[in-house]
Amino acid sequence: MKKGLYETDEAIIAGIRSGDDRALAYLYKLHFPMISHFILSNSGTDDEAKDIYQEGVIVFYEKVKADALELTCQIKTYLYSVCRRLWLKRLAEKGRFANKVDDAENYLTLEDDIPQQEENERRFGMMDEALNQLGEPCKTLLEDYYIRMHNMQDITDRFGYTNTDTAKNQKYKCLQRLKKLFFAAYQPQV
Amino acid sequence: MEYLMYEQIERYLAGKMVADEKAAFEALLQTDSRLAERLKEHRTLLNAMQQHGQRQALRTKLKAIHTQMETEQETKVIPMWNVFWKRHAQTMAVAASVSLLSVFGTLWSVQQMKAPVQQQTAHYVELRREVDKLKKAQTAIINDINSTTKPVPRPARFSGTGFALSTNGYVVTSSHVVEGADSIMIENKSGAKYKVSEVYRDQTHDLSILKIEDPAFAGFGKLPYTFKTTESDLGEMVYTLGYPREDVVFGEGSLSSKSGFEGDTTAYQVSIPLNPGNSGGPLLDDKGNLIGVISGKQAGQEGAAFAIKSAYLLQIINELPTATTLSPLALPKKNTLAGISRPQQLKKLNDFVFVVKVYN
Repeated sequence: MKKGLYETDEAIIAGIRSGDDRALAYLYKLHFPMISHFILSNSGTDDEAKDIYQEGVIVFYEKVKADALELTCQIKTYLYSVCRRLWLKRLAEKGRFANKVDDAENYLTLEDDIPQQEENERRFGMMDEALNQLGEPCKTLLEDYYIRMHNMQDITDRFGYTNTDTAKNQKYKCLQRLKKLFFAAYQPQV
Repeated sequence: MEYLMYEQIERYLAGKMVADEKAAFEALLQTDSRLAERLKEHRTLLNAMQQHGQRQALRTKLKAIHTQMETEQETKVIPMWNVFWKRHAQTMAVAASVSLLSVFGTLWSVQQMKAPVQQQTAHYVELRREVDKLKKAQTAIINDINSTTKPVPRPARFSGTGFALSTNGYVVTSSHVVEGADSIMIENKSGAKYKVSEVYRDQTHDLSILKIEDPAFAGFGKLPYTFKTTESDLGEMVYTLGYPREDVVFGEGSLSSKSGFEGDTTAYQVSIPLNPGNSGGPLLDDKGNLIGVISGKQAGQEGAAFAIKSAYLLQIINELPTATTLSPLALPKKNTLAGISRPQQLKKLNDFVFVVKVYN
């Protein structure tokens, strides 16, 4: 990978915004050692470091994609702050409290972001659950249509429905079930 | 019915409605609160689903990146070095060049300082003459012409100079002149020619004593010079006779140092231009005292020739009876050279200075 391409934070953000996977990979590799070091020196494991870091990168990525990022600091600091908060939360869930966090970097509390992030987390968790409960073939069908944006004809062929109308009908039923499952657990708070 | 409604909602959300259809739908939304509720719900659901999908995709991507990173790291386990090298390459390059520079600089400057000394060590030239091949070839041709039954006398391979020590046929020359000799002949200016053999050698002082073996030899007659037992002083005029070529050659200069090559106290330094073949020649002072034996010179420096002091010659002459079965030498006692002009001195000396021809 050419290093020169993403030398500044701005270049990385621009790259991610335009959907350049290389920018993402570069960013990922660039800061992983820092987070890994932080987690490992605060009673975490390699796998936990990987988990937390990926969560952190996801938060950052979604923020960039949603154009909601107003970066007042370096990406490094932002990522560190997010991961730090996530890790402390994880520690708390495990019933362990870090009485003294061994910080290697400056960090921000990012108070403003927390509700939105948690909402996203929660919604993601609910949707994950709902989709799992939904079962096959509904899950794949909906994902194919709404996420992977396949058209109805392809789906008809793939799932072996006699025509698109049957497929549409099936999709409708699936959607209704998902809606039921999802809203049973989720009440939008934002 | 419901099914169609959702179809509409989705089309609206996807922005696929044409303008007037959209306007109609929006108007409907205003009145139909149930529809508006459905729309909101549906939007949330779709958003959540899309977010979920994106997040899943992103997770997969990140996992792939992580795996890739780990494999990269694994392949990079050995080149920890590499990382270190890359990071410090510049510093190391500078350090290396500084050290190289200082090492070679030191070597060079040490050599510069040593240079004059080295010159001395490397270039002591012993002045025995190698009789050149050209002459050999010429004689060979002449001999060919003169045909053939007689075996050709071989030309001498080396030559030097020697001089008489006593009337009864003892001659001294430099050891290096007669080194490796099969037979040695001496010949003086007037043509007297004798076969001699080496009877004593002092390698450290580079002196050899030769004795005439010829039964017909009747003695040299009185030697005109005497041997000086004490050291001579700086600045004394000195001269030598020698055979750097076929004829005798006179050379004159002064005694320029009481020590010889590299501070050798057994020798003098004299400022006489000398050539190969002068080795073994006598070094005399103005009064006709023999003060040394020519042995060599320093290459690359004009007028720096060396002669073994006569004291060491006398020393080995004294050793001679004990070291060999020979009777003591009768050294000359009367100097007949003092007070006469240089050409007269040389005339007297001529008969006692020999060219030493070495065959092997």
